[in-house]
Formats: sequence, structure tokens, C-alpha cells
Amino acid sequence: MSGNSNNHRGTADRLAFASAALRSMWRRAEGKFALIVLALWLAIALVSLIWTPQSLWATDGYHVWAAPSAAHWLGTDGTGADVFSWLMAGSRTNLLIVLLTVIVSAVWGLLLIAAMVTRNSALANTSVVVIDALISIPTVLIALILAVPLGASVAVIVIACGFGYGLNLARVARPAALLASRSAYVESALANGASGWQVLVSHIIPNIVPVLAVQLSLSAGTAVLAESGLTYLGIGVPSGVPSWGHSLATSVKLINVFPLTVLWPGLMVTVVVVALNVFGDVLRDAIDPVANPALRQTVVAAEKEDER
Amino acid sequence: MSVTVEGLSVVIADKPIVSGIDLNIADGERVGLIGSSGSGKSMISKAMLGLLPLNASVSGSVALGETQVIGAPERELAALRGSYVGTVFQNPAASLNPVMTVAQQIGLPLKLHYDLTTTERAERVAAMLGKVGLAEETANKYPHELSGGQQQRVGIATALITSPRFIIADEPTTALDSITQRQIVDLLTALVDDAGASMLFITHDFSVLARATTRCYVLESGRIVDSGATAEVLADPKTSESKRLVSAARILTLHSADLRNIKEDSHE
Repeated sequence: MSGNSNNHRGTADRLAFASAALRSMWRRAEGKFALIVLALWLAIALVSLIWTPQSLWATDGYHVWAAPSAAHWLGTDGTGADVFSWLMAGSRTNLLIVLLTVIVSAVWGLLLIAAMVTRNSALANTSVVVIDALISIPTVLIALILAVPLGASVAVIVIACGFGYGLNLARVARPAALLASRSAYVESALANGASGWQVLVSHIIPNIVPVLAVQLSLSAGTAVLAESGLTYLGIGVPSGVPSWGHSLATSVKLINVFPLTVLWPGLMVTVVVVALNVFGDVLRDAIDPVANPALRQTVVAAEKEDER
Repeated sequence: MSVTVEGLSVVIADKPIVSGIDLNIADGERVGLIGSSGSGKSMISKAMLGLLPLNASVSGSVALGETQVIGAPERELAALRGSYVGTVFQNPAASLNPVMTVAQQIGLPLKLHYDLTTTERAERVAAMLGKVGLAEETANKYPHELSGGQQQRVGIATALITSPRFIIADEPTTALDSITQRQIVDLLTALVDDAGASMLFITHDFSVLARATTRCYVLESGRIVDSGATAEVLADPKTSESKRLVSAARILTLHSADLRNIKEDSHE
């Protein structure tokens, strides 16, 4: 180890770790699919902020439900607006919803996990019972109740899904978290003076990341589906705000007459949900130092480069 | 640091685990605690660290130097653990965090107790790796890439990196083969003596005990049944329990001595 390279060791190590994990994901066919779809999604969402082929509000009463053409790549909807432009703009709403839902459910789920694995057995037992009770409330019902004060809004989807998926996350991750919290390495960390909070953040959570990655990516996929469902019910994304659920909801009424218009948003949702689920699986395999030898090799390679 | 335990009793769910333990370790002394499985050895080490299960009721006194452990606030105990008291664990494969590199693992007590820069920490870890006989490249490895003996060397390095005044070694050799056991015991005692620290060496193995300690206590069903200089306890156990333990150990060691003779004969 050369002296001056050590100053940046932490950041350099983390970068090497991330790039090795990404490369391992890319090496697998399903990993390529997931990464390409998610990268396209992000790119389209960003582009839609400044440019869409047609204005969202350019309606045309003479060309409603038009078939795909040079002017309207995916045809037009019931108001004559361009379907492609609406889907492009919708991707940013869905991206926002997915990101917020994942953050909310991760924070909420980890708090519950912390309560369930604490050394205080009264709190641990109570939280298990409370979670089992809360998990029986359907997410749709929570969304319907939230819609009373909030109206149709993105917040309804994010809070309802974040709450429900956080409970799921906590329940699914509990066995792994419990195993980690009772492990000899946690005992060792405690014997070295770590506090309960430090043990949770630096020892338990890093060891349950595989479960978290899979469960959170499932939640992300389900959030896309929930957005469509709740928007269809009229309590999700408000009308006038573009989203895939909005595109589905406005076109699905005439599915027997113009099936093609429904196909595009449906396809979009399906491909993205599959990509998110696959992403979780591939991510889990890629970030585990025990399962993925590439992670160990990069550390050594980075070390060798330092020495040069 | 001298350690004094007086009348220590631990009861969990109405079941007495250890009772009336009196034990003292002078400054710089290596003391053994031996007993069969389930005799309460590990509970005593947990009580010394203040890490007993929350449903355990404790009475008596455990004094680490000037500090009374029983009833001390958690913050005070956390400051003690890892800085004044180092712990070496039984199963090195399980007591190292699988997603932390060796450097992160050894640097953990430093990170928790001292305000060092990354460079300073890396330097101390590198120096410690040398002391426990591991190559510098080991720093970037994960625990599962190491052998059992190497893993326990990492465990010892973690326990000693902050130069604690008292080391608790809770069956540090049990998970290792007999040759590695001897190397680990020798390494641990040498490092502890160099640092001038005191050590409590917990084991159920008399041959390891003789190598690691000068004085020992024999624990049976949560009570101390015998104590004295390790050599004397081994040569002349006073109570029936310690006689049983020693004779069991003697059969095993005689066995291995016989085997050694056979091996040496065949070499000649």
C-alpha cells in the first residue's frame, strides 16, 4: 500500500466495487436487458422534460384513434393527441413514482426491521404482531382512504405503496435480519464497542442487502403496476398529468374498437416491470462478494494499478 | 488492568446459569477459565463485557480496573469495549463479518473509538497484520478467502489493534486443528505479554490451557470448583469434577502423545 493512495482508498474502493458489480451484471444476457431498458427509461424521461415529438396538448378532432403514421409514430388517442409523446412524458411521472415508492418503502421497512431485531424482546414481539396485522390491509384500500383528504395525486400512490411494500419488505427480510443480528460478527462488533444503531447500519443491513435488492426491485415493479391500477380507479395520477396509467385508462374503454392504442402503454408497463424484477435478481448476484468472484479480483487489480 | 469478580451470579428465566463466582486477574497476568460445555464459561465473559441478554438478572460485582461493569450505563460500557477490553471469539469463520474486508474488520475498533484519518488507520492495520503474521495483501481479502488459522489471526488483530489492557479469549482455538491451535495460542500469549495486558483465557482444553495460562479456575455447573496454578491443577486436581475433566483431557493428550511417538518412530 503506497501512502498517498490511501487518502482516497474509501472512494476508490467504492467506485471499483460499483464498476465491477455493473460489469458482472452486463455480462449476463438478462442483465443486459434490464440495464438497457432501465437506461432507456431514464434517458426518455430526461428528454421528455425538454422535448416531445408533438405537444401534449395538440389535440385534433379530425384524427382521433388514428393508426401509427409518420406524424404520429404510435397513432393518436381519443382526443387526437400523440400517443408516443404522452408515453414519453408519462415515463418521467412513473420514474418519479417508482423512485419515491422505493425510498419510502426502504426507509419504513428498515425502521420496522430495526424494531423487529432489537435486543428488547418486548418491542421485537410487539412489532411482529403489529406488522402481521397491518399487512392484512390491502394497499388499494389504503389508497382509497388517502384519496379522501389528498384527492387524486402522486402522493396517494407513493404513500399507499410505500407503506404496504415497506411492511412486505420487513416481513420478508426479517429472518435474514434476525440471523445477522444474532450472529457472532454482530456479537463481535458489540464487544468492540459498537452501539445498536451502528450494528444495524454497518453490520446487519450490509448482510441483508441481497434480500433488500430483490424485494425493493419487486416493489418498484409493483409500483408501476399500482400506478396504472390506481389511476384507472381515478385516485392515482390526476387527469392532465401524463403517465402510463393515464394512457392506459383513457384508451382501455375502447379496447375492442382500437386495441392498438391500448397495446403501447400496456407493452411499456410490461417491459419495465419485467426489467425491474430481473434487475433485482442480477443485482443481488452481482453485489455479493461471496457469490461474485469479480468483486474480489477488482480490489486486487486496483491495488496493482496503485503500485505502478 | 486488574480484574476482580466477586459473588457474580447470573439468572436467566429463573434458571441459575452461574452462581457465586469469585475470580481475580492481576495486572499482566494470564488466567484460564476451564469447564465443560454449558458450564457457564461464556456467560462470565459476557457479564464482564456487560453484554448479557436483557432478560438476565445479574448480581455481584465485576470490576475492570476502576470501572464497575454491573449496572454501569451502556454508553460507559461501549467506551470500554474494544478500547480497554479486547475480545477474541470462538469461531473465527462466524465472528468476521462476511461482507467486510480484513482491513475494515481490523480497523473497526479504531473507527469506533479513535478519530483517525483513513491513512493513519490503514497504517495501523498494516502494522497489526505484520504482528499477527499475515501478508499485507490480506488487507483487501474477504473472510471466506482465508483459512481458519488466518481468520483467527484476523480475530486476534481486531482484538489487539487498540492495545487494550485486558483481553478476553473465549475458546479462541476450539474451531481450529491442533497444529494451528498451538500457533494461535503462542501468537496470542506472545502479543498479550508484549503489550503487558491481562488475559482471561476460556477453554475446555487442558493442553491449550497449560500453554496459555499460569493460573486457572475450573468451572462446573456454574460454580468454581477448583483453582490454583495451572500446572498444579493439572497435576493434582482437588475436587472430583476437576479430576474428571483432567483425566478426560489426559486420555486425549496421552493419545496424541502416543501418536506423536509413533510418527517420530516411523521417521527414524
